[in-house]
Amino acid sequence: MGLRDALFGRNKLAEPKRDQLFSLVTAAVTLDTELGLKTAGVAAIAFKPQSSGEFRSAFDDVDQLLEAVAQQSGTTIERKSDDFGFDWIIVRDPDLEDLVAAAHTLADELTAKGFGSQLLAAIFRFDGGEHPVYWIYGFKRGAYWPFVPIGDQKRDNATELELKAKLEHELPIEQDLTRWLAIFDAPV
Amino acid sequence: MKRKSYGRDAGLTLRMLFTTGLLGLLYVVFAVVLFSVLNVSLVPMIVIVVGLAFFQYYTSDKLALAAAGARIVSREEQPQLHDMVERLCAMADLPKPKVAIMDTPVPNAFATGRSPKHAAVCVTTGLWDRLEPKEIEGVLAHELSHVANRDVLIMTLASFFAMLAALLTRFGLYAGMWGGGGRRDNNNGPPVWLIVLAVSILVYAISFILIRTISRYREYAADRGSALITGAPEYLMSALQKISSQMALIPNRDLREVEGMSAFFIIPARARTAAAELFMDHPPLEKRLAALAQIAREMGRPVA
Repeated sequence: MGLRDALFGRNKLAEPKRDQLFSLVTAAVTLDTELGLKTAGVAAIAFKPQSSGEFRSAFDDVDQLLEAVAQQSGTTIERKSDDFGFDWIIVRDPDLEDLVAAAHTLADELTAKGFGSQLLAAIFRFDGGEHPVYWIYGFKRGAYWPFVPIGDQKRDNATELELKAKLEHELPIEQDLTRWLAIFDAPV
Repeated sequence: MKRKSYGRDAGLTLRMLFTTGLLGLLYVVFAVVLFSVLNVSLVPMIVIVVGLAFFQYYTSDKLALAAAGARIVSREEQPQLHDMVERLCAMADLPKPKVAIMDTPVPNAFATGRSPKHAAVCVTTGLWDRLEPKEIEGVLAHELSHVANRDVLIMTLASFFAMLAALLTRFGLYAGMWGGGGRRDNNNGPPVWLIVLAVSILVYAISFILIRTISRYREYAADRGSALITGAPEYLMSALQKISSQMALIPNRDLREVEGMSAFFIIPARARTAAAELFMDHPPLEKRLAALAQIAREMGRPVA
């Protein structure tokens, strides 16, 4: 944010930071060998839809492209909306790299069409522990943070901190813990 | 029971030795200056300070508990807490200390006592209620490490001359105010009380910094001890975060709820962060967590 924004107020939303998304693919090796966590073969990307026709048509284009790419890699794609007013693209593929690539493609295409700032987060689910582990990628922050929900509105902070400690060197992890916001009842 | 510390951190040991050495040197210089300037009147003062230090040292467990308003609890009152302390003591090869509880919602804990045999650990009701059992274990193990490392003895010794200097500063001030300045040993030098006052203030200031430094190093050592006793540093990390501040707490709020309010509107909700990070001095909590994370990584990897 520049001086002008500080003085006159920000009038544009930050572009999504997508360059760090792929680091999860390398970190997955550590997740598997050290913690026994494997991808659950599912990921989801959340964004805030706009009601404008411009957004609708842009999104339809992106959607078609995503569908075409998905067919090549054997990925299945679903759409869902939630009570918070966010739309989700749910991607299923046994290969984590394809999941990350799908999230990256979506982010890239939406950004190219000028709607990148509508992106919220991508979540990647890992299984193998006592509870499912989610890695949340915040497009606004360009970093990952762990999320381990245990039942109703509760999360396992100890495991989350352990994950941070173990993966800090491989994954860009959000350092400000107050930004490790939860996504309860995630669609995946 | 010859074990003194748990695990090794060569760098930390070195820094601790260095700081303790500096403090020792400072005190020697202080003593030399005092003896060369004042010769006789110093003796009663040293006796007083030694007496105070010994009193503090010998009654540290009871004094600290009484000062904090803590209450020693029996096994019948708090069986779970007693079980936990016993388990950890068995792991750490320590005699079981007295177990006390302090009735306050602020989560905290402390250990006191001049030796492992005369030790007491105290937890607040806030700690007991808000933390998970594993996290409480991490905190208790940290306190037990303080006991094992004999930190009460070390801190009493470290602050001995600082106490003396503080006392002398006060006496020097009184002497100056009450016309002591008229009495001079010779005609050219400044008055004796002024020298003592200046030296005492200096010694107090420097020793204050050094003692704080040693104390911080002891905290790192106790954190390491806790990690090794429990074998799970992540619980102490999470406990430290819960104890230290509300701000550092991992939120339980939903991303969509929060972002729905800030990021998707034009209002820059996070303008403050950059400035805050620039002017914020590094809180020791972050360093402690980093050190613990390092230990966690070391423990997580198979030893070659």
